[in-house]
Amino acid sequence: MLKKFFTVRKILTLLLLLSMAYAGYSIYYKIKYWGFSFAPKKMTDVWTIEAHISFEPTGEPIKVSLAVPSETEEFKILEENIVAPDYKMKRVKNGTSRVVLTAPAQDKPQDIYYRLMLFDNRDAKGKIYAPVPPAPEKPFWDEQTQSAAKQFLKDAAKQTGDLPQQIIKLLNQNPPHPLTATLLPMKKTQKNMAALITSLLAEKGVPTRIARGVKLEENKKSFTPDLMVEAYINGKWRIYDIKTAQKGIPENFVIFQRGGSSLLDVMGGQNSSVLFSALKSVSSSFGLAGQRAKIANQKSLFDYSIYNLPLAQQNTLKWFSIFPLAILIIVLMRNVVGWQTMGTFTPMLLSMSLVKTGLIPGLVCFTIIIAIGLLMRFVLSKFNLLLVPRISAVVIFVIIVMQALTILGYQFKIDIGSSAVFFPIIITAWIIERASITWEEDGPVNAGREVFFSLLVALITYFVVSNEYIRHIMFAFNELNLVILFIVMLLGTYTGYRLTELKRFSPLAKG
Amino acid sequence: MPMFDWLKFSSPKELRKAGVLGMNNRNYNIISKYNQRRLYPLVDDKVQTKLLAQKADINTPGLIGIIEFQHQVKNIMEIVKNYKEFVVKPAHGSGGKGVLVIIDYTDNAFTTPSGRTISYKELYQHISNILSGLYSLGGQYDVAVIEELVHFSNIFADFSFQGIPDVRVIVYKGFPAMSMMRLATAASGGRANLHQGAVGVGLDIATGKTLKAVMNNLPITHHPDTNADLAKLQVPFWREHLLIGAKAYEMTGLGYLGADIVLDAKRGPMMLELNARPGLAIQIANGIGLKSKLKEIDRSFPTGLTPEERVDFVLSRNA
Repeated sequence: MLKKFFTVRKILTLLLLLSMAYAGYSIYYKIKYWGFSFAPKKMTDVWTIEAHISFEPTGEPIKVSLAVPSETEEFKILEENIVAPDYKMKRVKNGTSRVVLTAPAQDKPQDIYYRLMLFDNRDAKGKIYAPVPPAPEKPFWDEQTQSAAKQFLKDAAKQTGDLPQQIIKLLNQNPPHPLTATLLPMKKTQKNMAALITSLLAEKGVPTRIARGVKLEENKKSFTPDLMVEAYINGKWRIYDIKTAQKGIPENFVIFQRGGSSLLDVMGGQNSSVLFSALKSVSSSFGLAGQRAKIANQKSLFDYSIYNLPLAQQNTLKWFSIFPLAILIIVLMRNVVGWQTMGTFTPMLLSMSLVKTGLIPGLVCFTIIIAIGLLMRFVLSKFNLLLVPRISAVVIFVIIVMQALTILGYQFKIDIGSSAVFFPIIITAWIIERASITWEEDGPVNAGREVFFSLLVALITYFVVSNEYIRHIMFAFNELNLVILFIVMLLGTYTGYRLTELKRFSPLAKG
Repeated sequence: MPMFDWLKFSSPKELRKAGVLGMNNRNYNIISKYNQRRLYPLVDDKVQTKLLAQKADINTPGLIGIIEFQHQVKNIMEIVKNYKEFVVKPAHGSGGKGVLVIIDYTDNAFTTPSGRTISYKELYQHISNILSGLYSLGGQYDVAVIEELVHFSNIFADFSFQGIPDVRVIVYKGFPAMSMMRLATAASGGRANLHQGAVGVGLDIATGKTLKAVMNNLPITHHPDTNADLAKLQVPFWREHLLIGAKAYEMTGLGYLGADIVLDAKRGPMMLELNARPGLAIQIANGIGLKSKLKEIDRSFPTGLTPEERVDFVLSRNA
């Protein structure tokens, strides 16, 4: 017979291991392809960038070519559209992506809008392909500038950071370095600065390229793209902010174009300009997961997951997905710790109510309802009513107390009162009934003990299920519920002593 | 340091060594293995138990009548008309809940052992309560059983404060494995339940003599109310007590059961009720782990014996 039970245990252990392996893979998959994370980051930023291209036609056929961002590891393109009636659109991918619009000759000033929706994809990882660039050509400088550049580079070496950073820092130094005026006689625009940095780095033999992009800031309107300098150092392209000398792509920076080609080319037009505006909105991470899945070509699997359901249903299921963990706690408390509680799942339901009411208001409100309910129940016991009518009377009384508490809470602006409505009425009534029967039969001490342990288990459960991280993980990685299922089943074969029995049977112990 | 006694914990290893049977082990390895669920009604319903006991030739308090439906409650006087005294109890009750003892009565005054009289209306209400499930486990509808009064032997009068002393015998595979006597105290309110503060006296299974006594899990030597020396307790008709337990095995088919037995002054030991899930407190009262006893029975006790042979085996083995 014993052998038979070992097999049950073995089968369950095997199933548990299998479910753990499955959950492990599924978690990896969700993180990798759907961009899920263990942290409860509910919202992801979604940026809408609009490029407004305007120019005056010259009367020749028009060809507009705009560099557009390609996807990077930071940002994924959610949607892209162009408002340019009468234009024919073509995409060109040659190093950087470009959109080419063509139209026959026009006479009125032209306005073209390119709109792009991006979402923050930093949760998902990717790699950028970077070919080795050729060595740069030495800049063509007159003698005076040449020596000024040499001296400038020498002085720059005293700055901190790597070479591009040293140069940028010295260029931006305040008060300006005496040689800056020689090297940069013109206005200190981004474009000129970038050109100078490129030249200085070329002097040192470092390949560079210019990157244009948009710094995403909320409700930024009509701005020109920012320039950044990229330098190829130690086998990698490194990007530098030409004002702050900061290395790396700044947060929320979307690169439209890299390398020598221009951001916008217009043929058949003059006085062309491109102005950007950016708008930030937030979207639920789970909502975007579908887009991410699509990008990763994992769409069909996603369609059959919880996260593709309407939000209302998702919220209900999110509420459910924490239950198995709460049940596991109940099983542990009863079968491993050995605390006797009122009803098997009463503490769990109580803790669920506490999550909705908040801890302190919930506890105060619960205590008030139980105390008043018990008083009422003692009066009822004098009437010698039959069981069903008696418990029904308690249920109705509980409803009345809840109504009264809610009304009083509202009138006197006490936060506690309104939490009454979240307690399950029937469960509350049964707690009152059970407590009063135990009180009558086994005395107030035993009744108090039962209520105490029920509350204790409810509190332990509450602290687990009210944790934002745990709730997020149980929903985002719902395959963990399968693991819990087998843990619970395996606990069903636990025949060891309960924790409370170690004390209860201690008089029998032999050393 | 008695002050810190409540802090005393044993390691699982110590308990295993002492052969203590834990709740999980009892439920998983004993009850679910040896007690088939379909047999439970035989012991949970006192009417069925009583009828079975009569067939198996086990002494039980005589059945006077049964009240099943509300409209039959008014027949109570007709049912008891040939009896001077009677007991009303719920068929599915447990732990002595809802038991009403009447030692004398007239048309409208019913006297209980404590001397209190209740009216006919109160008796009627009590039976109604039983039918509505007030005293039954889970609150389902119940049946009221009316049976003859047990005339308790006064041998134990000094050992119990009010209430009825009874003997609990744990029977495993038909062999009496462990036993104790439960004595009511003032603290237990005249009830014989250990968790309510009754005294548990572990009895030597071979002799029916005291091994050890506990109250609220702590060892005692004298009854707290009557001050009787508990070591002097000796249950008479011990073989008959054990025989009731042994017979209950064949009668119910339950491999692990607890038989509650009382001693009637005229008719000797009588079975009051059986329990398919007897508690584990008996181990503390005996100062012995039950698991070691059950293992012994599994390993070295013969099979295929009659109840009498099993009892004699136990008596001879331990004497």
